[in-house]
Amino acid sequence: MQDGVVLMKLDEFFNWGRKNSLWPMTFGLACCAIEMMATGAAKYDLERFGCGAFMATPRRADLMIVAGTVTLKMATRVKMLYEQMAEPKYVISMGSCANKGGPYWQHGYHVLKGVDEVVPVDVYVPGCPPRPEALIEGLLTLQKKIANERLLRNKWVKHA
Amino acid sequence: MHNELVTLINSKVGGANATTSVGEAGDASITVEGAKLYAVCEMLKNDPTYSFNVLQVITGTDFKDYIEVAYIMASFDPAKNYELILKVKLDRNNPEVESVCNLWKAANFLERETYDMLGVIFKNHPDFRRILCPEDWTGFPLRKDYVVQEVYNGMVVNPEHKMNIPDREFNAKQKAAEKAAAAASGAAPAQE
Repeated sequence: MQDGVVLMKLDEFFNWGRKNSLWPMTFGLACCAIEMMATGAAKYDLERFGCGAFMATPRRADLMIVAGTVTLKMATRVKMLYEQMAEPKYVISMGSCANKGGPYWQHGYHVLKGVDEVVPVDVYVPGCPPRPEALIEGLLTLQKKIANERLLRNKWVKHA
Repeated sequence: MHNELVTLINSKVGGANATTSVGEAGDASITVEGAKLYAVCEMLKNDPTYSFNVLQVITGTDFKDYIEVAYIMASFDPAKNYELILKVKLDRNNPEVESVCNLWKAANFLERETYDMLGVIFKNHPDFRRILCPEDWTGFPLRKDYVVQEVYNGMVVNPEHKMNIPDREFNAKQKAAEKAAAAASGAAPAQE
């Protein structure tokens, strides 16, 4: 009987489950999406971290990887997709364009200067585009962040 | 080829007033009157010698005094293999030209893009609206006097805290610091 019982804190149990089954949304905006696809494919294999199940709908996804240039036309759609995701939900901003407008920050009339203007971002991954290793490190950083969450004190409960 | 085409256009289409830029710098082109553009294109497409059956590009340029719209058309018949740049100069305040969608289906999206970027009105276009910018966008981005709108749909286009305005020119802050340092070191010996 003793072998069938696991004792652990509820926080740790939930966080363990959440951080090891982050399902990203199938969602790419520009050239960063090519690197994201490479990260998901066989060589870099995002599935090792429980993050390889790219969901085709925001309602099944936990993680939005904003991979590419967010134009002002697209920004309203990005916000709507984020609002459609079920909580708890996380956002990785991938690449210079999504972080701060990238090469368009000075004269780009059509580009949102950073996706954090419309959705809350958890992890920023720099690069233009970031290599797959960089995206994986961003994912691991997010997993560390999730591991320190408190079930009754996190932002989802506060705003419920 | 261009000189023969100019003679052909002027003889077939009255008032087209075709001129060519052969001998000047850049690719040779033919300029015609904007009002006669559709007639010229129809004639060039149906002409048995040239038969320009493919429209490759429609694009425009803002020259501050006028707006120039360029049409690049080609003949894909292996025996002919011609390519022509046809240009019209339009009034900048009221740029209007006849649509050529009836002649080449390819003109549909190209004319919409030219409208989106430069505000050229194409008359009798079957589906005339913006193509790249959002429908409720104001202004035409490729015009020389274009000013970016400050807020679009509640989103600030150039938020001040992200624009790094003191360093907007390349290395402006560093140059200013160097100048100040040079002035300080120049002033220091004078005080001694």
